[in-house]
Amino acid sequence: MPTITFVEADGTERTVVAAEGTSLMQAGVANDISGIVGECGGSRMCATCHVVLDLADLPRLPPISEGEEEMLEFGTSERFEGSRLGCQIPVTDALDGLKVRVPG
Amino acid sequence: MDTISRDFAAAIALEDLWNDPYPTYERLRNEAPVAFVPAANRYLVTRHADIVELERKPEIFSAHEANSLMIRVMGHTMIRKDGAAHRRERLACEPALRPGVVKNKWVPTFQAIVDALIDGFEKDGMVDLFDRFAGPCASLSLIAMLGLKDVDQKDLRIWSQAMMDATGNYADDAEVWRRSDEAAAGVDAALDVAIPYLQANPDESLISCMLHADDPLSREEIAANVKVIIGGGLNEPRDAIATGAYALLADDEQRRLVEADPALWRKVFEETVRWVSPIGMYPRQTAVDTELAGIPLPAGSRIGVVLAAGNRDETVFQNPDRFDINRPKAPHIAFGGGPHFCLGAWAARAQVGEIALPTLFSRLKNLRLDESEPVRFGGWVFRGPLNLPARWDA
Repeated sequence: MPTITFVEADGTERTVVAAEGTSLMQAGVANDISGIVGECGGSRMCATCHVVLDLADLPRLPPISEGEEEMLEFGTSERFEGSRLGCQIPVTDALDGLKVRVPG
Repeated sequence: MDTISRDFAAAIALEDLWNDPYPTYERLRNEAPVAFVPAANRYLVTRHADIVELERKPEIFSAHEANSLMIRVMGHTMIRKDGAAHRRERLACEPALRPGVVKNKWVPTFQAIVDALIDGFEKDGMVDLFDRFAGPCASLSLIAMLGLKDVDQKDLRIWSQAMMDATGNYADDAEVWRRSDEAAAGVDAALDVAIPYLQANPDESLISCMLHADDPLSREEIAANVKVIIGGGLNEPRDAIATGAYALLADDEQRRLVEADPALWRKVFEETVRWVSPIGMYPRQTAVDTELAGIPLPAGSRIGVVLAAGNRDETVFQNPDRFDINRPKAPHIAFGGGPHFCLGAWAARAQVGEIALPTLFSRLKNLRLDESEPVRFGGWVFRGPLNLPARWDA
């Protein structure tokens, strides 16, 4: 199973093993990552699973849908170039070793 | 749970919850966080962590409650469905309430509504803000977001109350049924006008989105969901406006902070719905034998998810009974969680926190509580001020 590293707002790095078929949000929630709340259970309505990726990693992910785009643009307190919603990122082998930052 | 705590839970009276539920919730959290309360005929879940856990397990803690009075009053709405059936109806509604459309379409609408309401009483120097501002603002905003045509804001408020009263009509009071039947007939008549119009003239409204979704909703589905949105979408923004205004009018220090830094209005909204959550409790039912906080819950157990208690959990929020916009960031649960996470969350944030409250405080000079009549709060399933008499320099 792929491992993912979350960098919490205070700089703490936490590497977790994520199950394929779940989402990055679910992996964060299951491992009590600070800042990953996942209020809406993954229906891209709450923006409480905001993560920021290195730009070089973005091509490893599926493209941003219209609904995710709107949530990132209007639902987050600050959007970054590498911003994504964790609930819209399916965990696959291709993500092994990925590092994401959780904004405060 | 020891005998004393069990006796305590058994002795809880709904009247006490209605008057002030918070002392009872504090004791439940500490002594019996999942407790059967006979007066409510439910297990009340009061700790933040337990509520978050059950919201993550919608397949166990089902929204589809047996013998639901809501289904009798409104039809089978999405709020009482699970899984794919819920998802389909919810998806149809979402485009009307996503943050982008809220910002571009509904914020200007809310601003026009709020300005017109204040224009109407600005010269009077005194008014009951609950009845003349919070209630009409929520009602007119909801009429616009639904896409209803030529509906009086007072009628919508009457319909909303009548339907909500009937969803709690376990005493089978015939007069309560009569009023809710009349309200449902009023909504159906309004839909007879709105649906043909929106069928031909699509816009961003909820009813239009339901009609024009990739998988459009039927007339029956639209009617049920419009009824639940009227029943459940009016009093929450109303009560958040009134509670937030009261909190600031009663605390000069907090008020000075936000008046000095308008960016803090966003925190005012979030802290308001944490402090006095407009939806205090919602029902669930266990689909299988399970347990929560070590308490066994057989399949079919009726659960009351007490958001208002979780939002005052002292293990998550320091000094939880205090309204404090500067408290350390911690996730409140006023919007619920999981698949049924409040559909109107972004609209409520904008209506209450960006438009209604900032406009009220900036336009009415020296706004203050009218000390001649005390502000009263009531309710536990839904809670908010019952009046908000105020004065200003006209």
